[in-house]
Amino acid sequence: MSNAVEAPRGAAPDAYIVLDGDDRITHVSPHLHHDLGSWLGHVLWDHLPGAREVYGPCFDEARSSGQPVESVVYYSGRVKRLTVIPAADGLAVHVERLAELDVTSLGTLTRSLAQIEAALAGRASGRHDQPRRGSPRALP
Amino acid sequence: MAVTVTQQTPFVVLDERDRIVGVGPDAESQFGPLIGSVMWDCFPGSEPLFKPYYDSARRTGEQLEFVQFYDGNIARVRAVPRAEGRLDLHWEQLARLDTLTLSGLVRTLDESLEHLAGARAGARRDEIRKTLRVIEGGAA
Repeated sequence: MSNAVEAPRGAAPDAYIVLDGDDRITHVSPHLHHDLGSWLGHVLWDHLPGAREVYGPCFDEARSSGQPVESVVYYSGRVKRLTVIPAADGLAVHVERLAELDVTSLGTLTRSLAQIEAALAGRASGRHDQPRRGSPRALP
Repeated sequence: MAVTVTQQTPFVVLDERDRIVGVGPDAESQFGPLIGSVMWDCFPGSEPLFKPYYDSARRTGEQLEFVQFYDGNIARVRAVPRAEGRLDLHWEQLARLDTLTLSGLVRTLDESLEHLAGARAGARRDEIRKTLRVIEGGAA
């Protein structure tokens, strides 16, 4: 792997993928190999229906600005902190899971919605923590 | 209580220990492989939501119908007591949560909550709607 991807690895230490300009997965970090290794060479959106409108704007912003972009997003029952780091040969994408919807019962739904509300409220605060260790099951 | 779930809906038969002992043709794909299993072992978290109704039907000998939320689905269930503690269970799916995107979640959750009745469900419904309004506001 080139030095261009080594830098993102330092910022997003464990769980990340690297995308090319067509959002094709060109690298999966070892922590994600078990879950996402089979996606290597595939376009990310082919595996995540409806995700383009959620993740895509962050990717576009990172590519156009050349700067890392961090955002808190909801997709597929989970709130995640998305860290997107542009490099010369790809876009490193690190996802940290913050909250998860539990639809087992109305009670679990109510509690998990409150957690999702709190996680999304963190997005509105504008406070950006340093990326922490990502979940090995970061995507989707 | 008015009975509106028809005989044509999917059904299963439970024995007196809530073991699945019969499956109707429309439920074969989902419940056929589960014959011989205790219902609660197959659907974690469902026992406190459904068993009180089943016990009541057995105790009174009267069929009853209720609407319940479980695993992201809202269904109208009819429990018909039979001999030796057996129960015929018919159900009709009324709504299902779409958890893929935040907008889908908000829309389908609001629709789903419309089906829930009763004071306890009403309190949960109000709490969830309040949280949804906050989430919607943050997402806007």
